Amino acid sequence: MTTSDSGRGYEAGPPTADDLRAVHFTPASMLHPGYTDREVDAFVARAADELARLTQENAQLRQHVSALEQQLDAVAARPSPSDQAVGILATAQLTADEYVAEAEDFSRQMTSEARAQYEEQLSAAREKAGAIIQAAQEAGASIAASAGRGSVGPAVPDTEQLQEQVAYLKAFGQACRTQLRSYLEALLSDVETEWGRAHPAALPPVPVGVRPQQLERGSGPATAMSFHGNAAVDGQHEDAAGATAAAVPATRVPS
Amino acid sequence: MDIPAMRASFARAGAHGDHVPLWFYSHLFLTHPDTRDMFPVSMAHQRDRLFAALGEVMARVDDLDALVPILQQLGRDHRKFGALAAHYPAVGGSLLATLEHFDEEWDSYVAASWAEAYGVIAEVMIGAADEAADQPPWWEAEVVAHDRRTIDVAVLHLRTTQPLPYLPGQAVSVESDLRPRLWRWYSPANAPRPDNGLELHVKARDGGPVSAALVRQVQVGQVLRLGPPVGHLALDTGSDRDLLLVAGGTGLAPMKALVDQVARQGPARRVDLFVGSRTEDGFYDRADLRRLEQEHPWFTVTCAVSHEKGSSVEHGDIGDVVLRHGPWNGRDAYVAGNPATVEDTVTRLHSAGLSMDRIRTEVFAASRPSPTVDGKVTE
Repeated sequence: MTTSDSGRGYEAGPPTADDLRAVHFTPASMLHPGYTDREVDAFVARAADELARLTQENAQLRQHVSALEQQLDAVAARPSPSDQAVGILATAQLTADEYVAEAEDFSRQMTSEARAQYEEQLSAAREKAGAIIQAAQEAGASIAASAGRGSVGPAVPDTEQLQEQVAYLKAFGQACRTQLRSYLEALLSDVETEWGRAHPAALPPVPVGVRPQQLERGSGPATAMSFHGNAAVDGQHEDAAGATAAAVPATRVPS
Repeated sequence: MDIPAMRASFARAGAHGDHVPLWFYSHLFLTHPDTRDMFPVSMAHQRDRLFAALGEVMARVDDLDALVPILQQLGRDHRKFGALAAHYPAVGGSLLATLEHFDEEWDSYVAASWAEAYGVIAEVMIGAADEAADQPPWWEAEVVAHDRRTIDVAVLHLRTTQPLPYLPGQAVSVESDLRPRLWRWYSPANAPRPDNGLELHVKARDGGPVSAALVRQVQVGQVLRLGPPVGHLALDTGSDRDLLLVAGGTGLAPMKALVDQVARQGPARRVDLFVGSRTEDGFYDRADLRRLEQEHPWFTVTCAVSHEKGSSVEHGDIGDVVLRHGPWNGRDAYVAGNPATVEDTVTRLHSAGLSMDRIRTEVFAASRPSPTVDGKVTE
């Protein structure tokens, strides 16, 4: 078998349209009419393969085309918006932009005013603090100066000396108070004894064993305990521990 | 592609001003409603920029060598907005419709040129976006600490779920659910860390929606989104000269990142940091700077106030104070702060003999939603 131009009759691969038109098969022999069976069969098989391939490809292409057509329809179905529609959306957008700009502007104004106020107050406070410190320093200096004039020894006593003096004065004050209180108590007790004998009904009952002085001493921790929530209820609160705690139950009897 | 014809057409349309981008976006949103979600409520700033950016692209369209890297950067950056390849034809369609609407001399010839040019632009941008597909379009970052330092400055500590590669001194864009679709640029104040930790210094601008929210509203545990890094204030790794760092306001952040980089990677060198503020209250990060000073013997910090008398630190404009401590002619200088501070400092350093190629700057001003074609991220 030969083809007119290429002689590819037996070759593998898809036959072309020209191959089909120009195909020549070798006559089988002088005795048997027709072509060589083997050549014909092989060629028909090749043609069948190619036809199958083309059919499949054709189907794929058709599918592809219809998909593209659908896309095209979808695009065509979404018409270019009219100028009017674009105009309306544009106006709406401008309105939105204006609102946002106004809000931002308002926020900017508020923030900068708040900051200005903050800075103003801060600097005023700083000035005030500065003035107070200065006044205190001046007062300190004048006190020191007058103290210096009044004293015979060193003009300005140092801090340690001052602290010692303060501690001494405090102790002295405490001692005076205790003394005075004892004296007053003794006086009261006298009065009570004397006048109580005369008019017992005129006197309020005084709890036995609780002397005013103890009440005074105990009032410290008792008051402190009232700040500790449940302390007053359970009376055993750990916070009330310490040297003064022992005095507490005794003083809390009336409550 | 007839570039002169396109430029002429662009100029004719551009003569209609703000109406042009307004029409463009309205057209885009009507034809592709899904694109509306990619933009903030107010489009005012967006509009200003679109045609400015297009104009810049048009000005360079015949210099593709310069334009391509810019478009690639834009394409990569646009991933964080959720831009997909499918959005590009939509934008192209609306762009052509807009030009047609405003250009009285529009014809099919110009239309074909524009379509071709836009095709090239979109292809480059999409290509760059695809190449970056191995990186996330944005990085989620949880707020792990929020430290309000002054009335309007907060230091935020973030941790990204994935590593975010950047160079110290670069900036990343930040978006919060508190202000959706508004991206602002901030410089991390540290070099990349193994634990993916980032420190941001945020100053609330009066009326600034994002900065005010980041300073006053963001809570620990909230998640921010970060975009890919940009910026050019990176340490010159080819130099081992000692460093002079000058920071005004939150310009401190990139400077601290450079200090961190020297500390982590070297080479060993002296680093002197000058921090300027109007008043002493403005030194929002003093404690940490003091810590760094104690940790690193090669590092010193000098603070200066310009508007507070009787303060314990140096007095004067930061540029002036820097010069008083000079000379700095052997240094590489890095300057970040507001425009006036940067300009003043650079002028002084230059006039004192430091050559301009040794001075690198970053101006801190209101953030742009996206970088310009030159990679600028501030106004």
